[in-house]
Amino acid sequence: MALEVLLVEDSKTQAAQLKETLESLGLRVRIAYDGPEGIREAIENPPALVVLDVKLPSMDGFQVCRRLKRNPATQDIPVIMLTEKAGPQATMSGLRAGADDYIPKDIFASEHLISTLQELGLLE
Amino acid sequence: MTEKGGPYKLRPPIMMVKVEDTMDIMIVRDTARRAASLLGFTPAYRAQLASAAATLAELVLKTGEAHTIHLNGIIEGVRIGLQISSETPWLAGVSANNVLVALRSKLGDLVDEILLRGDDPPTIIMVMWLNSGGGGGGVS
Repeated sequence: MALEVLLVEDSKTQAAQLKETLESLGLRVRIAYDGPEGIREAIENPPALVVLDVKLPSMDGFQVCRRLKRNPATQDIPVIMLTEKAGPQATMSGLRAGADDYIPKDIFASEHLISTLQELGLLE
Repeated sequence: MTEKGGPYKLRPPIMMVKVEDTMDIMIVRDTARRAASLLGFTPAYRAQLASAAATLAELVLKTGEAHTIHLNGIIEGVRIGLQISSETPWLAGVSANNVLVALRSKLGDLVDEILLRGDDPPTIIMVMWLNSGGGGGGVS
């Protein structure tokens, strides 16, 4: 059975693009459009991976990541932060929040995402 | 063989990116991730190194002249690491201490070492070790 990814992304356009990319890799994708919904989804039905945007309404991606990593029910789920904020401080904030990778949304994003999925054992 | 101005012996990968416009910053970031991956750094440390390399590229781009960022594997004893460096002629004559304070405040969290070597021209060198106690996260 295909592994399931929880994508937390408030932009419907970007969510649809990412969903297509991940599904093309043979993964199933659920989408949450804000942080609280993402946390709830991750707790109720833990996915194999969370792909998390930083800029989210009501609770940003750093907060979401910290909450997921503090909760015994979700702390072992790998989190990849995919973001437009790629400076040194934002990168360290993401990694300190417990993210397993922090990937800027640029032309290489899909390639790096695939590489990290392979590294995490989620893709062959 | 050591990098000009650098204290460590080089090993593959040996990569370089010429930085001439903002698109090249993205290429530097990508190249740093690839180099770190080849050396066995975990994704989180690759992200740190990519951010450090991109920040250095942004810095040199602001000078308005083309520069080359070097991304090299290095070895010292049993330690293996990644060195990111660039010659910085615009820093000639500037206090090395002041430069290092500024660089460490901006980039110190991302790498294990930041050095400024030589003065003709000075070279900024950033290093992260793969198998030291504090960084890298991987085992080679």
